[in-house]
Amino acid sequence: MAAPVPNPIPVGISKEQAFSMAQTEMEYRVELFNKLAQTCFNKCVDKRYKEAELNMGENSCIDRCVSKYWQVNGMVGQLLSAGKPPV
Amino acid sequence: MADSSAEPTGASSGSVGSDENATQIQPIRMPTTEEIRAQDVWNNCGVRAVTSGVMGGGLGLMMGLFLGALDNPIMHDTMTARQQFVFTAKQMGQRSWNSCKTFAIMGLVFSAAECCIEQRRAKHDTINTAFAGCVTGGSMSARGGPKAACIGCAGFATFSVLIEKFFDRHT
Repeated sequence: MAAPVPNPIPVGISKEQAFSMAQTEMEYRVELFNKLAQTCFNKCVDKRYKEAELNMGENSCIDRCVSKYWQVNGMVGQLLSAGKPPV
Repeated sequence: MADSSAEPTGASSGSVGSDENATQIQPIRMPTTEEIRAQDVWNNCGVRAVTSGVMGGGLGLMMGLFLGALDNPIMHDTMTARQQFVFTAKQMGQRSWNSCKTFAIMGLVFSAAECCIEQRRAKHDTINTAFAGCVTGGSMSARGGPKAACIGCAGFATFSVLIEKFFDRHT
């Protein structure tokens, strides 16, 4: 996944700090995925399930939804990280 | 994300009690790579259109053979049995080939139109079917002028919506 990294790890950081950073990053990713899946599912899939497969309209909708979500997420992340004071 | 399983509770096969009589709940499976590729192939508008065209052609062939065999005049006086057979076979072939072409084009245009409209709208409705039917009917009756095209559009749209409702009546 070619996502923009919010903050690269600076040199001279201890193992525990790196581990906790990785843990935070992982939690962030999991939260992002869950929210993404939930938002796009609520938006795109009709609640009256008529068949098990995703039909073509739903596929298109999900493609567009995920693409927009990811792009906005990247932009917001960049803006947030650009506004931070230098570490 | 090819399966729509964003429900909060995952189903497990060890569910409590009363499912012995009802359908056994299967655990949630992620689709395999082959399934995803197959879905991608089937979601392509060109593939769908060609498949529908071929199926429509086959249907037209069968129908043309059947109907062509039914209403051919049999002239006992002027031709021998073998000549009658040859003549009937040629008529049947001609009729079924024409019918095959008509149905193939109909299936191709309808399927391509419905696929394109649905991909653009990103919604699954009967409006897609109605518009695709209108395009098909209009394009096939376009030779008779604009009025014939309008009538063909309306007629085929109604027909395709009715057929779709008929096939989805149990859901």
